[in-house]
Amino acid sequence: MKTITAYQCVNCQHIMYPHHYSCLNCNGREFEEIHPSGNAKLLTYTIVNELPWGIDERGRVLGVVEFENGVKALGLIEADRPKIGMKLYPDWKVVRVIGGVETFGLTLSSKK
Amino acid sequence: MRPVVISGVGMIPFGRRDEDSLVDMLAAAGLRAMDDAKLGDRSIDAVYVGNMASGLFNHQVSVASALVDRLNLFPAAAERIENGPASGGSAIKNGFLAIASGYYDVVLVVGGEKMREVIGPKATDVVACMTHPETEYIYGVTLPAMAGMFARLYMDQYGVTRKHLAQVAIKNQENGLLNPYAHIQMKITMEGILTHPQAHINSPIVADPIHLYDCCPVSDGAAAVLLTSEEIAKELEAPLVRIAGVGQATDTHTLQERSDPTDLKAVTISSQKAFEMAGLEPKDIDVAELHDAFTILEIAESEHAGFFPKGGGAKALEKGETRIGGKLPINPSGGLKARGHPVGATGVAQVVELVWQLRGEAGERQVKGAKNGFSLNFGGFGNNVLAFVVRRES
Repeated sequence: MKTITAYQCVNCQHIMYPHHYSCLNCNGREFEEIHPSGNAKLLTYTIVNELPWGIDERGRVLGVVEFENGVKALGLIEADRPKIGMKLYPDWKVVRVIGGVETFGLTLSSKK
Repeated sequence: MRPVVISGVGMIPFGRRDEDSLVDMLAAAGLRAMDDAKLGDRSIDAVYVGNMASGLFNHQVSVASALVDRLNLFPAAAERIENGPASGGSAIKNGFLAIASGYYDVVLVVGGEKMREVIGPKATDVVACMTHPETEYIYGVTLPAMAGMFARLYMDQYGVTRKHLAQVAIKNQENGLLNPYAHIQMKITMEGILTHPQAHINSPIVADPIHLYDCCPVSDGAAAVLLTSEEIAKELEAPLVRIAGVGQATDTHTLQERSDPTDLKAVTISSQKAFEMAGLEPKDIDVAELHDAFTILEIAESEHAGFFPKGGGAKALEKGETRIGGKLPINPSGGLKARGHPVGATGVAQVVELVWQLRGEAGERQVKGAKNGFSLNFGGFGNNVLAFVVRRES
């Protein structure tokens, strides 16, 4: 499955997502690309009714999750009753159409 | 560094201003500040314009040059300064530095934004452009959504309730009724926005747990300050209101990279820097203008700036300490919640309000005997913050 790419500092193992040119922990400049592994835990979320131009829907759930290997990311949550701490299963789907182009991103579902 | 005096202030009423272009609004506010300082024919060295997105909202850029042209301030230097919703604060900081360094003597700083030229969802999209393009924006994140995710954690961790959020909204809209420059001139009640079974019709969910009345309006508006050296301020016989402290700090672009997303580090650091420069402490402040783009932010900022301990902001609100007449009035202007939030104007409008308060010119919303003021301009979602301490010299 295609997914996001995070970066782990070679010097201190700090994990960053998105990319930085200098490690947020030790200022190191060498990184290994890593991907989220395992399932995710929901850290916080919101249910958005007033979305920006181009997203013609209400009730989109957005949240920040942490994967089992420590990668943290924001994604589109697919859960009827989101709850902090709940387990979510990652996927890679179209999250937005920008200027007629389908943009893929991280989605996280409560169902496998 | 030389002392820097705010020798003149000016503002136009915030709201929906279909009849004015952005540059018209900047010019009107700038003229008011120049006239307030009784500047006369004295020349202005530089014009700094705080503006976030004139290119996207109004299809016009280089607005600082356009303002110099409109006001016939040639050959003044001119720059537009962009720092998201803290553009106004950044413009003041740069004006301050230019005078404090001795490079300029007179700087006109104008903040302005004309946001109502586009429809609501487009304005939401323009503002969302400040989020991270690959890891946030593509998902449809909005600033209210950021506030929603932040509020959920903050409420859970520090015992802040929706009632506290409503109390901020009610207080600031009451204050706004005393401010003729405020966009929102409407009294609201706890029953109307929270406790009535049908309150959700008046205040629907925008980004849970943030409701409509937890959000500032989308506004047009402009505000201006005329900064001078102390020597020139004395020649102008202006009341000596000095910028005594300036602080600025940044934090990560995304919330998820903060070790504790409820910790607004840039607010804490910028405030500490401003207090240190001024030689004052939070307890010395008589009136504060905080960046309540969302009600949760007034509470969180009041704690991170050092006025209350963590968890104490909501308690102070409950006790009425942050009302006009309380121990530390916060947002007597109505704040962003009622005065409105034309993003580039806000940081300047906050300082204009402090100057009126310190001069004793704030009318019905006057904080009695105010001598020291504090303002906080919150850029992005706390990733670039400016704090100011403003002091009236006796």
